[in-house]
Amino acid sequence: MKGRLLLLQVATPVLAIFFGMLIASVMILAIGRNPIDVYAVMVRFSLTRTDSLFSILFKTTPLIFAGLAVAMSFRASLFNIGVEGQYYIGAFCAALVGFGLRGLPAVVHLPLALLAAAGGGMVWALVPIALKLRRGAHEVITTIMMNYIASALLLYLINDVFRDPTQIGTPRVRTPVVAPAARVPSMGPLLAPLGLHGSDVEKLNLLLPLGIAVAVVLAYFLSRTRFGYEVRAVAFNPLAAEAAGIPNARVQFGMFMLSAGIAGLVGLNDILGFFGYLDIDFPKGLGFLGISVALLAKNNPLGVIPAALLFGFLDRGAAGVQFFARVPKEIIVILQAIIILAIVVAYELLTRYVRTQRKREAELVVTATPAAETAGS
Amino acid sequence: MGAQPPPLFFREIIMNDLFIELRDITKRFPGVVANDAVNLAVRTGEIHAIVGENGAGKSTLMRILYGLYQPDQGDIAVKGQTAVIDSPRRALELGIGMVHQHFMLIPVFTVAENVILGSEPASGLGRLRMREARQRVADLCRQYGFILDPGAEVGALSVGEQQRVEIIKVLYRGAELLILDEPTAVLVPQEVEELFHNLRRLKEQGKTIIFISHKLDEVLEISDQITVLRHGRVVGTVPAARTTKAQLAEMMVGRPVLLELQRPSVTPGQVRLEARRLRVPGSGKRLAVREVSLAVRAGEVYGVAGVEGNGQTELVEALVGLRPIAGGQLLIDGRDVTHATARAIRLLGVAHIPEDRHRRGIALPMAVWENLILGHHTRDEFTHGALLDRPGIQGFVRRRVGDYDIRVADTNAPVLALSGGNQKKVVVAREFSFNPQVLVAAQPTRGLDIGATEFVMRQLLAARSSGMAVLLISANLEEVLSLSDRIGVIYGGEMVAEFARAEATPAELGLYMTGTKRKDEVRAG
Repeated sequence: MKGRLLLLQVATPVLAIFFGMLIASVMILAIGRNPIDVYAVMVRFSLTRTDSLFSILFKTTPLIFAGLAVAMSFRASLFNIGVEGQYYIGAFCAALVGFGLRGLPAVVHLPLALLAAAGGGMVWALVPIALKLRRGAHEVITTIMMNYIASALLLYLINDVFRDPTQIGTPRVRTPVVAPAARVPSMGPLLAPLGLHGSDVEKLNLLLPLGIAVAVVLAYFLSRTRFGYEVRAVAFNPLAAEAAGIPNARVQFGMFMLSAGIAGLVGLNDILGFFGYLDIDFPKGLGFLGISVALLAKNNPLGVIPAALLFGFLDRGAAGVQFFARVPKEIIVILQAIIILAIVVAYELLTRYVRTQRKREAELVVTATPAAETAGS
Repeated sequence: MGAQPPPLFFREIIMNDLFIELRDITKRFPGVVANDAVNLAVRTGEIHAIVGENGAGKSTLMRILYGLYQPDQGDIAVKGQTAVIDSPRRALELGIGMVHQHFMLIPVFTVAENVILGSEPASGLGRLRMREARQRVADLCRQYGFILDPGAEVGALSVGEQQRVEIIKVLYRGAELLILDEPTAVLVPQEVEELFHNLRRLKEQGKTIIFISHKLDEVLEISDQITVLRHGRVVGTVPAARTTKAQLAEMMVGRPVLLELQRPSVTPGQVRLEARRLRVPGSGKRLAVREVSLAVRAGEVYGVAGVEGNGQTELVEALVGLRPIAGGQLLIDGRDVTHATARAIRLLGVAHIPEDRHRRGIALPMAVWENLILGHHTRDEFTHGALLDRPGIQGFVRRRVGDYDIRVADTNAPVLALSGGNQKKVVVAREFSFNPQVLVAAQPTRGLDIGATEFVMRQLLAARSSGMAVLLISANLEEVLSLSDRIGVIYGGEMVAEFARAEATPAELGLYMTGTKRKDEVRAG
């Protein structure tokens, strides 16, 4: 039973992805292309070229952080839709520390920038969580509002307050360049001995292993620690947790801060790992993609890694089909959406199936035991 | 009687006096056979009780009879004619009506308005003939001896009166056979008497009644025939006049059951739990508990009797730190804990069996082992710094599962896979861990069958013997009377009376529970 369950749990998202591809095929057919050709181009372009593989890994990095951030809040029955805004603020704080401080050694400067990013995300989440725990205001509403504020505030800060003075008069609106000591080292030098070179290889930075490490630590933290246990109790039955003396509000606050702290790191892959400055056109929407990633991963920190990889792959594949198959990349966006819907349905079906299976097993135990009793007495 | 003479033959059996006959009814649900080849014959004009433990298949059978479920196999004959009952509407056409355990009434409507709801008498133009409706309801009341004012607003009626409205509702729709699902569960003794009086009157007038219950005394008093179900099968049908409580209990459970509890004498020790003029707010600003004082000593069971909704829930929550106290004082072992947190009170050795296990007792999706340590999970035995000590926990869980006979194959399974009785055992096993000094047990046997009830009651008495102070809050008067050393009656958020065990009788308690009578002076301790 145990092995079969595990198999089912892996098979469910795979089937959902397959189902999503099937539906997307209809749309590809509708625009007059052969879906098999399109998928073949997508796979060939994404998985057989070194630059594509590294590009996927680069896109995956922020999605791991975004997925983990959303998953942590979901784990505590909170819906942090504000990862988007939190990473804007986190990215700005990191940039500020990066270009504002000079002459620090990298061992001090970089951790400081990371802390600033996490801290910025947390500060941005304080208002929604305080309103939630003190006044019962729903965090979905308040975090969405905070996203708008973050977006406007960021434009103001970049354009009007911290704009790189050397860029005035050019169309580039961005902050000054961060100090080299605050930049996340590239993985290029580590990969070069393996014969891997090129700009896409060099884009990859140490935030990827950091993200994976964070996922592993969180998985352990949630399953093995006292706090992780309390989180489960609060999520599954807050009233029973309260009756058991668990401080619900404190647990939820802790998880929301954890979520927001991780959210603060989402933007760093581009800011500290690649560009070296915060541009007004820096990648947006990663926080919302994080919701999909967390959903696909069923809020499991380790599951976030393959889920983020899938979205990285789809993103790269979209560029591929647009260029080589002449299919609009919106098809891939639709594919993403269908996969998410299919997964939600598939997980629900799986949950129901597992529940009836477990009930049936329990029934077997119950009916078997009295028989044993009478035999004994 | 009103029944038409049936045809003279039906599968070679003459059944001229059977109102309803179920033949080999089988109903399966995923993983369960709820009814397994059930045969049941109910004669016209009799009161036929159906008894059985939870999960024995009583409700499923009645739902089939009332057209809410379709049987997988078997057939139903009504007055000798095979019938397909595919909806409650069809059931009513055949003269079968159901009085639900949970009333389905609109409080702001009058009795008459509630009764006619769904089959309103109207003129050709659609104008409601309210006067006619009121008259018909009054006629029905007179015919069957129901004391009920058709013009009264239902929200202002007592529970017993509301139940009468439900019965009239079914009669108004022309039911010949009434199915009553646990009708006495919500009633105080006087109301039960009144109900039985009404039922006998209905029987005299030729109505047929199916009475579902697991209170054996009541079943023996009111029924003509008793059918016992166990594990979805009929164990037997016996005439009430020729059976005993012990025999019925054995048929239900499948083994002899001790109906009398051993109650060793214990000398009570010092006061462990004390409430002084406690005032507790309800859901709004209104006080749900007004000036309640009580004191529970070590080695004593203090029972709180009362109709549900008279402040018991709020009192319990206040005592265990889950609800803020607006006034008065709460003491545990002489220590003031009026404003202490639930955790602090728990750490002083207060255990709590919540009234609704699904709400406050367990987290259904969590594993059995996780539920067994809930609230104890910060103990040194279970932790290594910030980590949970799985081997330590496993040893504890194995012992608890064994000691309390929790039927589970794998303690990693979620607790929702367990039966209701086993879920309750998880709560009891957990709350009795680590030698609590005070036990607050709210409705501890609610929803449990005879076997599990017996188990929980024995545990409560064992706790008392070991010197625990037990506060028992229960709507089940029988339970309060058989377990308690002293009994307080709560009504409208106030303790209206307190009795020593020897002074209390069901009838006397009933008068206080309904607010008919109140003692002027209630002392605590």
